[in-house]
Amino acid sequence: MKLIFEKSIPGRVSFSLPDDLFEDIKIEDILPADFIEKDKKNLSEVSEVDVVRHFTKLSKYNYGVDDGLYPLGSCTMKYNPRINEKMAALNNFTKAHPFAPTELVQGSLEVMFELNKLLCEITGMDQFTMAPASGAHGELTGILIMRKYFLDQGQNRHKILIPDSAHGTNPASAAMGAFDVVEIKSNENGTVDIDALSKAMDEQTVGLMLTNPNTVGLYDEGIEQIEKIIHGKGGLLYYDGANLNASLGILRPGDTGFDIVHLNLHKTFSTPHGGGGPGSGVIGVKSNLIPYLPTPLVDFNPENNMYIFKEAGTKSIGMIRSFWGNFSVLVKTLCWILSLGPEHLYQASRNSIINANYVLTKLKDYYKPAYDRFCGHECTLTGREYKKYGIKTLQIAKRLMDYGYHPPTIYFPHFEPYADETIMIEPPESEGKEILDSFINVMIKISQEAKENPEILNSAPHVTPVSQTDDVLAVKQAILTYDDEIKNNDKLNYSDENINF
Amino acid sequence: MRYIPSTKEQQEEMLKAIGVTSFEQLIDSIPDSVKLKRKLNIPSALSEFELDDKISMISQKNVNFQKFKPLVGAGAYRHFIPEAQKALLQRQEFWTCYTPYQPELSQGTLQSMFEYQSYIARLTKMEVVVPSIFDGASASAEAILMSLRLTHKNKIIVSTLIHPHYLETIKTYLAPHNIIIEEISSENGLTSLEKLKQSIDNDTACILVQSPNFFGGIESIKTFSEIAHQKDILLIQVITESMSLGLLKSPGDMGADIVVGNTQSFGLELDFGGPHNAFLATRKKYIRQIPGRIAGETTDKNGKRCFVMTFRAREQDIRREKATSNICTNHNLNVIASNIYLSLMGTEGLYQYSLLNAKKAHYFEKKLLETGKFVTKYKYPYFNEFLITYKGKDMERLKKVLIDNGFVPPLLIQKFYSDTPLQNTLLFAITEIFSRNELDSICNLLSQ
Amino acid sequence: MSKIIENLYYSKNDEWLKDEGNNIMVIGITDYAQDQLGDIVYVEEIKNGTKVSKGDVLTTVESVKAVSDVYSPISGEIVEVNQKVINEPSTLNQDPYGEGWFAKIKMSKPDEIKELMTSSEYNDFRKE
Repeated sequence: MKLIFEKSIPGRVSFSLPDDLFEDIKIEDILPADFIEKDKKNLSEVSEVDVVRHFTKLSKYNYGVDDGLYPLGSCTMKYNPRINEKMAALNNFTKAHPFAPTELVQGSLEVMFELNKLLCEITGMDQFTMAPASGAHGELTGILIMRKYFLDQGQNRHKILIPDSAHGTNPASAAMGAFDVVEIKSNENGTVDIDALSKAMDEQTVGLMLTNPNTVGLYDEGIEQIEKIIHGKGGLLYYDGANLNASLGILRPGDTGFDIVHLNLHKTFSTPHGGGGPGSGVIGVKSNLIPYLPTPLVDFNPENNMYIFKEAGTKSIGMIRSFWGNFSVLVKTLCWILSLGPEHLYQASRNSIINANYVLTKLKDYYKPAYDRFCGHECTLTGREYKKYGIKTLQIAKRLMDYGYHPPTIYFPHFEPYADETIMIEPPESEGKEILDSFINVMIKISQEAKENPEILNSAPHVTPVSQTDDVLAVKQAILTYDDEIKNNDKLNYSDENINF
Repeated sequence: MRYIPSTKEQQEEMLKAIGVTSFEQLIDSIPDSVKLKRKLNIPSALSEFELDDKISMISQKNVNFQKFKPLVGAGAYRHFIPEAQKALLQRQEFWTCYTPYQPELSQGTLQSMFEYQSYIARLTKMEVVVPSIFDGASASAEAILMSLRLTHKNKIIVSTLIHPHYLETIKTYLAPHNIIIEEISSENGLTSLEKLKQSIDNDTACILVQSPNFFGGIESIKTFSEIAHQKDILLIQVITESMSLGLLKSPGDMGADIVVGNTQSFGLELDFGGPHNAFLATRKKYIRQIPGRIAGETTDKNGKRCFVMTFRAREQDIRREKATSNICTNHNLNVIASNIYLSLMGTEGLYQYSLLNAKKAHYFEKKLLETGKFVTKYKYPYFNEFLITYKGKDMERLKKVLIDNGFVPPLLIQKFYSDTPLQNTLLFAITEIFSRNELDSICNLLSQ
Repeated sequence: MSKIIENLYYSKNDEWLKDEGNNIMVIGITDYAQDQLGDIVYVEEIKNGTKVSKGDVLTTVESVKAVSDVYSPISGEIVEVNQKVINEPSTLNQDPYGEGWFAKIKMSKPDEIKELMTSSEYNDFRKE
């Protein structure tokens, strides 16, 4: 599709100006000439009509949760309720300046205060900070808290334990905290190898980062032993809450020994993914770690019935972002929790677990599961047996697009020998049985196509606007802006009629 | 429940197909000792209209912010957002979708990223643009970490006139890494070039300066870059008010090596401080050290032009602990929001609005001085934000008068710079949203 | 089945070494390694004259889906660098044993050869 720049026509306007342009103030009187750009910076020149048509058309080249099943594992692509969007868009919330005196923003502060109470009850933790902007940002925050906690005790712990099944952000966050990552192998059940953990845990190790259920969707029954091993050597247990959708109302990480918990509000708590954010990765801690939380926290003063910002003390790790948090995401989370209440939060998890096990049961004869046991809210199948027909798991995913589905997660997690050529399917509770049945039927059909007609998989997808993008070429030609494209025009290997998809 | 479609009967069918008689068998692996044996102690579910009532009432405990225009900026600026942008953002395909890992189903997101990268590259005159890091503070920290990776040195120099939250965040991110952070103080509202020259040495990785700075002052980026480049030091320019890019000289032309820009001014709501967004722009030669996600152009199997996330080998899912950053989810929807905003402003619009910002702010300063109740503290060139000292004694009364008349007061600068001679000094920000009448009546109020 | 050339030495990290005489070894990566990586798009600069110890990172090789460190299988000094692989990374995919060599190292500890594998030992090591 043409770029907005290719639709530009000199002289077209899409903006409006007031009559009073303050001509009495001369720009040369207020700013030195060498601070001002001589020529106007060239953006685009289109009309408002052009802009609306351009982005309307562009949006149709995307696939959203509202279009259908989006079974990405550990992403929890559930329905984003519209009432939550309306509440977050209320003007009193959206136009509140972060430096407005607190007496003017009692409503915003109440949202943050009430949300903290609810999240503490849901997770079994003692206090949350709303500051982190994403799960990975929350991981970094948690890691910095662990680091400061041990430094304060005069302990020099420089290692951290991370399962080989962990999401890539875990070791990346640990590295940003200057920790040495020690990888713990999974056992044949797909969970943490207790022996390996026991050997690795010592007094130079801050602790373990654990996702439970883990990234293959399995609940780690060894959690009680894990807790003893880590706490036994004075370490801390960190909970990656990406998979909390399997646990709402069923268990609370705080009750299972975790000291620090991050939540992905854009996963479990229904806030939109936005094509890659914004989300929020709030962090909850047990009381002994509260002093280390980023500053400030929201508190309530019963003497004058006012919400206030409370500066954290000297033990705080400081700030990890500007201002207070991803506020609109917090509003949506509050709305979702209040809409579900205790009964439906439990039903959400219950249904997500039933959904995933249903898909696992119906597909396991066609796509051998990585582990032969009941799963949590997501199941991990494999596409290994189709290799002999010349089919890579990637092509199974691409063929799904021809049937109108967004593919599940593929090739992650990857730790051999079980989790190989993985297809990780998470059908959240907002997917009804008939949707799962259609998906199951299509997956079975594709498995047959793989044997009988592999070429149709290898040339997939066929119905999408583009098919099989050349990722190698993208890196080689490094065209990252329209001006790059203009510079490279004679070297580009497509002709004009091919431009439009 | 309306968000959980499967009926009781359907759930029973599924359990039967799975081969269990009860749901509890599916969660057998969870030790009994940790299973919750009580209901969560949270309020019962509200119906939709009850929720609407409740949250609306909470929002009413804020003042009417539609009416309450802010005289404060300090890293968050209220600009007008055209309605067409809001309408386009309502399209679910933009906001209910996931990170564009499957390019065949994400050309909307990916092309938007590419167009936005192109806009920012032109505004900053830089070559490579990372379109989304959470905010200016974390982006500044990432820029510094990037400069440390590039230079293998272990000292950084930071102006004290960068946003205090950004400085705090940088210190937090750097705490584990044994890096010397040297702060350069200011002189008359601008970073002291003298002190900077004394601070740099062969161990310095980068100099980080904000322009316009926290006081609103425009720094001499060209001079900074000349000083930096004499010793192979990277110059990082931070911008908290991106509207300034519509008028002021581009950072790339002035020698900046990395530019970090808070883009809340490009079509994003104040939202009580977040989510906003920031770009990180740099030169092509540094591309393998950039944090975060970037879109690039390629072709598909039929030769059609299309867009993909690229240079992924640096990212956490591939490199794990050796990744350039841990960034996964960013603020991508805000990239689309800003892309639409910039398309609606266009070349002429962004320039005209930038101009209005500068003119209105200077007009207001002039009028404040004319009241006789204010005096200029420091004279420095500024865009739309400036310091001014109140000659009166009663700061509380000044604040109350403004609030009673529906304005969020300016920032009392001593809140952040308490050990400087800046008593009774206020940081005002004026954007295009104020009419001449409004500015005149504010001055009227303050002159009493 | 990936290609293995006789008369070369091999390391566990999928590097091959060719004895050029005079204690100089030519280093590259094997056919198996380039196949695992996929289309190689970038090779990090190698500085001529650098002294390396066995196990040091010689360079980094990047494909679309992976990044791999290439380790020096021996200790010594880099006496020649093959700019061709730096400038045209696809050479590694096309000709891993020929034009795709990285560097020539003058060994400082010739005994280290004993710790390397022969072509048949590497064949067994990489047998799928």
